[in-house]
Amino acid sequence: MTQTKHDFMVLGVNHTTAPVLVRERITFPGNQDGAVTRLVAQTRGIEECVILSTCNRAEIIAAVDDSEEVSERLIQLVAQIHGLGADSLIPHLYVKRRSDAVRHVFRVTSSLDSMVLGEPQIVGQVKAAFKRDAAANATGPLINRLMHRAFFTAKRVRTETGVALSAVSIAYVAVELAKKILGDLEHSEALLIGAGEMAELTARHLAGNVRKPIRIINRTIENACALAAQFEGTAEPIDRLYEALTTADVVITSTGSCDPIIMFSDMKAVMKRRRHKPIFIIDIAIPRDIEPRVNDLDGVYLYNIDDLQAVVDENIGERRAEAEKAGNIVDDEVRKFMNWNMSLEWAPTIVALKNKFEEIRINEIGRLNGRLAELNDTEREAIDILTKSIINKIAHGPISFMKQSLKTSRHNQHIDFVQRVFDLNSFVSGSESEEAQILDHETDHRN
Amino acid sequence: MHLMFFKVSAILYLISSIIYAAFLLRSKGTTCLSGFCFVAAGFVTHTSSILHQFWVLGFFPMATPFDAISLFAWGVIAIFVALQFWDRNPVLGAMAAPIATVLMLVASTFSYQISQPIVPVLRSWWLPIHVSFAIAGNSVFTVMAMAGAMYIFQERLIKRKKIGRFHKILPSLQTLDTLNRRALPIGFFFLTLGIISGALWASSAWGSYWTWDPKETWSLITWFAYAGMVHQRLALGWRGKKAALLAIAGFFLVMFTFVGVSLLLGGHHSFVGLCGETVLS
Repeated sequence: MTQTKHDFMVLGVNHTTAPVLVRERITFPGNQDGAVTRLVAQTRGIEECVILSTCNRAEIIAAVDDSEEVSERLIQLVAQIHGLGADSLIPHLYVKRRSDAVRHVFRVTSSLDSMVLGEPQIVGQVKAAFKRDAAANATGPLINRLMHRAFFTAKRVRTETGVALSAVSIAYVAVELAKKILGDLEHSEALLIGAGEMAELTARHLAGNVRKPIRIINRTIENACALAAQFEGTAEPIDRLYEALTTADVVITSTGSCDPIIMFSDMKAVMKRRRHKPIFIIDIAIPRDIEPRVNDLDGVYLYNIDDLQAVVDENIGERRAEAEKAGNIVDDEVRKFMNWNMSLEWAPTIVALKNKFEEIRINEIGRLNGRLAELNDTEREAIDILTKSIINKIAHGPISFMKQSLKTSRHNQHIDFVQRVFDLNSFVSGSESEEAQILDHETDHRN
Repeated sequence: MHLMFFKVSAILYLISSIIYAAFLLRSKGTTCLSGFCFVAAGFVTHTSSILHQFWVLGFFPMATPFDAISLFAWGVIAIFVALQFWDRNPVLGAMAAPIATVLMLVASTFSYQISQPIVPVLRSWWLPIHVSFAIAGNSVFTVMAMAGAMYIFQERLIKRKKIGRFHKILPSLQTLDTLNRRALPIGFFFLTLGIISGALWASSAWGSYWTWDPKETWSLITWFAYAGMVHQRLALGWRGKKAALLAIAGFFLVMFTFVGVSLLLGGHHSFVGLCGETVLS
């Protein structure tokens, strides 16, 4: 165990590296029960893994062996799962290892890597993915630890910085603007076109203010139905788009379409049919769903996500500082995690060392048993305590030596050295639970 | 007494205007209670001033430009106070109070004394009917224009995506447009009655309904303008920015008909010859 080195790796695509067309194709289909994750986890060189797939990203987070080939193997596997050529995939992929991988996972979970900084849904999505894959036995102590620290980091970012507020305030500002334009929203009609993290967040905020059920239009009616169930709204097919635009008061669009779905001339006709009743349109899609010129029409108030962000910034103006603060929290947590990860390498040796000393102690007391017969219980206990104290004191030296050596590049040799000095080879295969205990104790101590 | 009440009201309106202006500059909070209290106090003293004058004259104090303009200011404030029960937004007050203050100042440049003996034609019961309707119409159109100005201002902010801090204190576009929609027919109704009652009064006083006196002509022009607005609004569904712009344009027409015609064009409603001792002198 001491000699098998492990590593963390993240491989995936997200909204910055891959266009929608590519992202759409990498979804790890059939993974509802973690079957795909299990398949990936059984690949040679991969010890544990989690697969995350949202609208904006698809990622494999894995604990792997230290070899370089493992990423090659993983790319081939992803290509194979989706029936794509590896070559068409590689330009869009990012592969991160070691602390970069850990940092990436922490940033994603803390919503610092999201399209809308600080949007709150990603934590839930990561949690769901982790729960599913843990249930499918694809994870183990390494990934479990990684994900728990990721959730802890996300929580710190959320509570200690204003980053999370920003996304919430985008949705909040959208609703406030809607109220500025349409007054009391109670009798307004809301329309959601497409889906996405931010669109759903905004729709949820809106749903609390409008009384009528939200109308949901999607290219695939199944998706519309799923969302409709979530919001207690009504699902409609895409060919009802113009009819819906004629009556809606607030519209949120977030489709993956490459070209605008609503053009200036279309909207002009719609406004005529609406008798110029004001309409507030929030275009969250990137690229835009609505031709920007539509905003010039009388009675149309078109805001995209950047406009809303600008309104939020006008009020907050401290976002950069908040993002920086969040970055520091992530760095802090990455450092802690990497320390823990390094400690994994000496933990088995410490267990072995302690086991060996304990064995010697028990053996020696056993040998003296005859001569100790006349002692009473209190005196026996005193001897027990005395001998334990002696072995602990002796063990302290080599243990601190190993911990100190973690900071040097030669720690592997040093661990090996300690094992040879104390002849631990037969002991280094201590039970995992014992190791885990020590590790937890050590990390808690650090924290 | 009457003058003291009048002066106190003008001062209270002025103080309230200053409070409202400070409120606008700070743009914090959603209400401006102190501003409203001063307006309300001014409204009470203003009402007292009019009642007192009525008691002194033994007849409706509506015959002089002083009285008419003062009544106009009173009407604007009355509508504002009434609107507070509908929408507590303070920005309307921030516009009503200064307008009332200015009107009070304008009124005080005219003589408050009526030439004695009162011309018999002004002793008619048509006086209160005609003047009340005309002033009521003017007041409604004034408030409508204020709402229109707020609409245009806020609409620009939202369209240009530069919301700033004002959006927190302005009423929603919907609220302002509703105000426009409801005020328009009411104001138009008053204007119509004002013109009809004027014609009937003219008929009983001079034996002719309509003499194309400048005031009559301009009133008719104003009437057609607002009739057009009502038509656009109700039949063609004009709303929002267009309606707000029309309300503002209409207000200038109303003001010209009310003040400009009397000062510049003469006629039955001419202020000339009424000058006596003014409040300010």
